[in-house]
Amino acid sequence: MVKETTEDPSPANAHALAVHVRGVSKTFGTGEARTHALKGVDFDARLGEMLVIVGPSGCGKTTLLSVIAGTLEFDGGEIDVFNTPLHLLKPRDITEFRKRNVGFIFQQFNLIPTLNLVENVSVPLLINGVRRPAAEKKARALLEQFGLGGRENDRPTMLSGGQQQRVAIARALVHEPRMVICDEPTSALDKETGARIMELLRDIARHPDRCVIVVTHDNRVFKYADRMTEMEDGRVQRVHESLNYYDQEGEH
Amino acid sequence: MYHLALKMLLGDRAKYIMLVGGLTFASLLMTQQSSVFFGLLSWTTSHLRNMRAAIWVVDAKVEQVNEIKPMRDTDVSRVRSVNGVAWAVPLFCSVLQSKLNDGNFKPIMVIGLDSTTLVGRPPTMLSGRLENVRLPNSVIIDELAVQRLSVGRTKPLGIGDTFEINDKEARVVGICHADRHFFGYPYVYTTYDQALQFAPKMRKMLSVVLAEPTPGWSVERSARQIEKETRLKAYTEEEFFWSTIWWYFRNTGIPMSFGTTIILGFIVGVAVAGQTFYSFVLENLRYLGALKAMGASNGLLSRMLMLQALTVGLIGYGLGVGLSVMFGYAVLGKGQPPFMMPYQLPLFTLMVILFICILASLLGIRKIYKLEAAVVFRG
Repeated sequence: MVKETTEDPSPANAHALAVHVRGVSKTFGTGEARTHALKGVDFDARLGEMLVIVGPSGCGKTTLLSVIAGTLEFDGGEIDVFNTPLHLLKPRDITEFRKRNVGFIFQQFNLIPTLNLVENVSVPLLINGVRRPAAEKKARALLEQFGLGGRENDRPTMLSGGQQQRVAIARALVHEPRMVICDEPTSALDKETGARIMELLRDIARHPDRCVIVVTHDNRVFKYADRMTEMEDGRVQRVHESLNYYDQEGEH
Repeated sequence: MYHLALKMLLGDRAKYIMLVGGLTFASLLMTQQSSVFFGLLSWTTSHLRNMRAAIWVVDAKVEQVNEIKPMRDTDVSRVRSVNGVAWAVPLFCSVLQSKLNDGNFKPIMVIGLDSTTLVGRPPTMLSGRLENVRLPNSVIIDELAVQRLSVGRTKPLGIGDTFEINDKEARVVGICHADRHFFGYPYVYTTYDQALQFAPKMRKMLSVVLAEPTPGWSVERSARQIEKETRLKAYTEEEFFWSTIWWYFRNTGIPMSFGTTIILGFIVGVAVAGQTFYSFVLENLRYLGALKAMGASNGLLSRMLMLQALTVGLIGYGLGVGLSVMFGYAVLGKGQPPFMMPYQLPLFTLMVILFICILASLLGIRKIYKLEAAVVFRG
């Protein structure tokens, strides 16, 4: 079992931080093919905010998202998520931590096509050991809440892209995780649907004990972010505290 | 999660059908071919079941029950005189020609029984009286003989009918059931003396001496004593059975031929199940990666894969063995090809199919252990 530490990793603002990353590095490959994806990244995400990570392709934003989510081992540095030092945990404990605290929304939804909506949404609960009837009851309730009532027994392929992403969001939230990780959540959606999804994610981030981190290329979603982190060449270049900056500067 | 694993499997109809089909075919091939193989081997030892005796005494050079090297008539007395032998009787056993009504000839297996005791008599009489075989020129024939020797007749050969064995008239006094001979010769039982009348004259006519140990003597001990005192070969029933089986293993291509087919069944099973299951895992890799990202442990995913593999394995096994049994029922009525399915055979096939499934799922499990959950973030 993972025990979340109560130690303060950064005395100045730990109480407000959901994610606290210091000096994290990650390389892929060996020899001449060796690539430094993260070069000593420092990064923070706060509770109750939606933070967007942006940057050009290959800048390391997905790698950063992966190490924060605990899905990728990193070479050096420290990562505290909800005051739990991931860098000190064993892989098995990281998996335990992830299954209880992290919800995922993927670019391609990754809904299992052979399962119906209820079954897809109930997966995180089942992984967490919740019994099937209770898990499916909760999944049905959430689907109803997300406007998919009456379609619980449909397969994902019978839904539009926007509806599939709503199912994916329901799946990400069903076990009430404290952190929601979104990888290009709007890239497979049209403008209108993407806007609705981002509004939904922003509402989710309003929870005072939750944090939503979004990696995206889509500049239409920037306005929904509370803060924005710009990455380039494996490093965090800038952190924008206010959306007004973008409104003034025009499109990023 | 396990019900979801099954839904994932059953939802991919094409892969599911291919997996079940492959394993059904492998299971059918292994079970059916093994059954035919065992059936064929059982035919090689039909003498042992059709003329039951505790000890079979034969010429010292005889290695299997279908091999006949005549002995002297006096050898019966020599066996009787051995310490540890309760009784011993002669048995004639030879392939002779019978003449059909249409003028053709058919080989038959003539068994000459000791006329006093009728030891070695047919296992099951279907009609007629066994004792009537002591009447002059009388024979008891098996069902196959009825079928084979009735060619050219208006009605099947029955009690009271006559036919020729080696130019001598034989009258049917009974019909019996006998296990089929390896070479397909019908069994024709008569008395030892009558058999000598049917058979061409030779210097030595005694085929086998059937014996029983004295109470208090084990069959093996008595057999060894016979060998020691007579210099003949004495087999217990079990020894003769295995000696015959191994003789066919060593001296015929039957095991190699059937073994090749059985191995092919195994290879087809491994190839189809392994490849299809592996491609099933590869196609589901992004979903498995998503499950892993969501916190599903390697152990849980491995158990899910194992469940999927074992499910298709057991369904394929059931269908394959079921089809083999149906084949068996169909051919047993006709009498050929030979078919024998001892309970160990489906058990063995089950083990092989489970092995194939475990092997196939291990390929997927290996992939899962190597799979990084972060793969879901790569477009």
